[in-house]
Amino acid sequence: MKRASSRIVGRGAKGLGLGVALTLCAAQALALESRSYVVTYFAQQFSNEEQDCPGGINPDDERGQTAVILRTMGRSDAEVRSLMAGWDAGAEGKNKVNEILARRALIDGEPVNPMTHPEAVPDPGLKFVEARYAFGFDLDGREDPDDFIDPHTQQKGVDHQLFRALGCNQNFRGSWTSPSAYGEWIWVQLKDSQPAWLITLTGEDLSRDGAVTIRIERALEHLRSNLNGTPRLNMTYRADPDPRSFNEFRGEIRDGELVITEHRPLSILWNGLSAPVLNLNNTHLRMKMDQQGMDGLIAGYQPWRELYFAFSHNGIVGDRPGLWHAMKKAADAEPDPATGQNLAISASYRITAIPAFVVPADGASTTTAAR
Amino acid sequence: MRWIGLGVAGLAAVGVLLNFSGIGSAPAKAYVPPEAAMPRITADQYRTIIGSVFGRAIDLGGRFEPDMRLDGLLTVGASSVSVTAAGMEQYDAMADAIAEQVVMKVANRDIMLPCEPASAAAADDACARQFLGAVGDLLYRRKLTEEELQGYVDAAASAAGTLDDFYAGVAMSLSVMLSSPDFLFRIPELEPDPDRSGGYRLDAWSKASRLSFFLWNTAPDRQLLQAAESGELNTRKGLARQVDRMMESPLLEQGVRAFFSDMLHFDKFETLSKDTTIFPELSNREMADAREQTLRTLVDQLLTRKGDYRDVFTTKETFLTPSLASIYAVPLPYDGPNGGVEPWERFEFPADDPRAGILTHISFTALHSPAGRSSPTDRGKALREIMMCQTVPPPPPDVEFSIVQDTDDPLNKTVRERLLAHSTAPSCAGCHKIMDPMGLALENFDGAGEYRLVENGVPIDTSGELDGIHFTDPVGLGEAVRNNPAVPACLVQRVAAYAFGQAPQAGQQPLIRKLQSDFARSGYRLPDLMKEIALSPEFYWAAEPSTTEPAAAKPATLTASAQ
Repeated sequence: MKRASSRIVGRGAKGLGLGVALTLCAAQALALESRSYVVTYFAQQFSNEEQDCPGGINPDDERGQTAVILRTMGRSDAEVRSLMAGWDAGAEGKNKVNEILARRALIDGEPVNPMTHPEAVPDPGLKFVEARYAFGFDLDGREDPDDFIDPHTQQKGVDHQLFRALGCNQNFRGSWTSPSAYGEWIWVQLKDSQPAWLITLTGEDLSRDGAVTIRIERALEHLRSNLNGTPRLNMTYRADPDPRSFNEFRGEIRDGELVITEHRPLSILWNGLSAPVLNLNNTHLRMKMDQQGMDGLIAGYQPWRELYFAFSHNGIVGDRPGLWHAMKKAADAEPDPATGQNLAISASYRITAIPAFVVPADGASTTTAAR
Repeated sequence: MRWIGLGVAGLAAVGVLLNFSGIGSAPAKAYVPPEAAMPRITADQYRTIIGSVFGRAIDLGGRFEPDMRLDGLLTVGASSVSVTAAGMEQYDAMADAIAEQVVMKVANRDIMLPCEPASAAAADDACARQFLGAVGDLLYRRKLTEEELQGYVDAAASAAGTLDDFYAGVAMSLSVMLSSPDFLFRIPELEPDPDRSGGYRLDAWSKASRLSFFLWNTAPDRQLLQAAESGELNTRKGLARQVDRMMESPLLEQGVRAFFSDMLHFDKFETLSKDTTIFPELSNREMADAREQTLRTLVDQLLTRKGDYRDVFTTKETFLTPSLASIYAVPLPYDGPNGGVEPWERFEFPADDPRAGILTHISFTALHSPAGRSSPTDRGKALREIMMCQTVPPPPPDVEFSIVQDTDDPLNKTVRERLLAHSTAPSCAGCHKIMDPMGLALENFDGAGEYRLVENGVPIDTSGELDGIHFTDPVGLGEAVRNNPAVPACLVQRVAAYAFGQAPQAGQQPLIRKLQSDFARSGYRLPDLMKEIALSPEFYWAAEPSTTEPAAAKPATLTASAQ
């Protein structure tokens, strides 16, 4: 166990040695205390179990996907068998298949890039998850037939349509204790290539249950790691003053768990490898707190087209236009007034964080926080 | 007349060892000078000398033999080691590598050679003499004798003739010079002391060397050698002028860093290994930074501010990098690119922070801990031996350590409990009593120096005692150490040993006592102590040179680490 005491705002500021004038922040004047954390993992949280894809797992290999695509394009089973036999035989057969695939996406009869124009691709009909449980929250306050039960909280009416849409793709499949291959892969890519995300809690006594303010923002620095790759405790991060990444929520510590009580939108700059911005509406959060940090879920309705952008350039996700169609069909919120098509999909993300110090980048004042 | 001291003839480069340490039986009332030590230059000094003579870009291309710690200092051990055959091979390899880079590389020799030969394919005695004479003076820390210089010039000419290459000849002579005992050992040259009938003193060259290695941890510069050559150094005013100059030089910091690196056993950082599963935050980089943190703190407190030495055990002020700050769990932002070199920042721990003084630095708490846990015994022993110059006897040969090392012991969850169980054996209890009460006060710091309040879920009791002074936490320990008279007295002893290259002997006690008393009077100012030693005549006195060869050689060995 590491240092257990909670620290008041401004702890250690005297020693910053940067010529920074220490200005008492409002929190200090009200005898509030703050703790800050840096996010150490963020990825879609699924809860796959055996038999939750009765139609089978969507093929995750190029050959398997190709066969599906050919069928989607109207080829009969016999034709597909013949074409794939040619594919297996060598370059000539592959070229023949690729010539067909080149016309997978057509606009006005002309072939276009299916990844950037997934709407022009016939829906390959990826299989959906059929399960009872999924991690998340009841975002809409209703128990619908396609809702789940959260395996940890036993809450009913859980909305996590992203799980339903993607959970039968091998690289998305995962559980609480065994993250998905995609989740692990994308986090490893992101953590060293994007500025870290920060969470700062402010309240009267953070060692007890009670009201808190939750600030979620971006740092100027990347997440710092130890030599063995584990995230480094107690590093100091400067908060990015860019308002596009500043979020503040009213929340609460309830039975040692941090929750958001004011379900406003969250918007924070993300990364070109995923989506440029993470946008969640009706944001929900719950994170268990202990001396080592916080671990939990953040969820909300996410614009699925933005999420498709994250998938469109990552081959690890499987058949990308197929994901576009899957998310489009599973989307469950924010209908387009003109078309009725839902523009957002309910999604839950695993989020973990460890203690850190956060200071403003401009140096105008010091709001330091620690365990 | 020059007196060649201490069996130089026997120094045939290999297998010679001298041991000048050892304290006599009875304290003398009058100062009795010891036999002059003849230390082997340390790896650090070798690097520094080569860097200052030929430039820091020179790659030494070899490995040094391990230094030996004796009476608390590697510098003292350096007076008792020889060069083994394997070590000599390394010195030869380094000499060849240096000579190759200095003379054979066109870009380098254009800068370093003061002349061009009449023909690059033939000997040129005048040019060789000019270069080898200038470099030889700096490397041997004295004027080469005419015979020596002519010998090197002749050797260069002979090789140049054989190889049809002037530069190859000069390189060969330079290489021989660098493998010579005159370079590798600080050989004291003695002469009768005109102020003390029958007494001896270092000659002016050796005096310059002793002064320079003490204050700067390197060979004398040209100015100091000129003062030696002119006789200025043998006058009181001339010596004072040089000492003042040296005390004002930036090289003094190099000397102070070298002293504390030696005294605080920082050489152990080179072999220190931590279990990265338990302490992932402490990599080699952080360990190097931890060492640097303490050295910066000491230089700042003692040199820059000319502060009270005792305050280094209580000061809240230090220097940190952002990565070190994370181990100390204090905020320190880094205004630079991701992955860039972290800057050092002056830092003051808050008044309520448990960190105060160098004993709470990672360089002490982590250095004196095993790979995967803390050790109050190691820390207490280090405190006694390093800071107080006391000797803790080694553990009995049949001692059973398993109780102490079992950090998963369900009955004894804290190390205090485990040590209590271990110390029930009478053969262990005595020594643990003098180490553990101090070390236990540092138990808030784990084996990596990170702060903790509990061990295995049990609150840590950091109460302790030092020589009758009780305290409840590391800050209290720092206060107790600060106020313990053995601590500044020990520093004087260590600085004197470092200066003389040997532990103070019984006959030197009058000087040591005077230094200790003056140190206290000065407000425990290190520069004042160093200056007093540098100006004291006794610093340059030596016993009559022995006419017998050393009796036995002692191989260099690594100091055994504490349990």
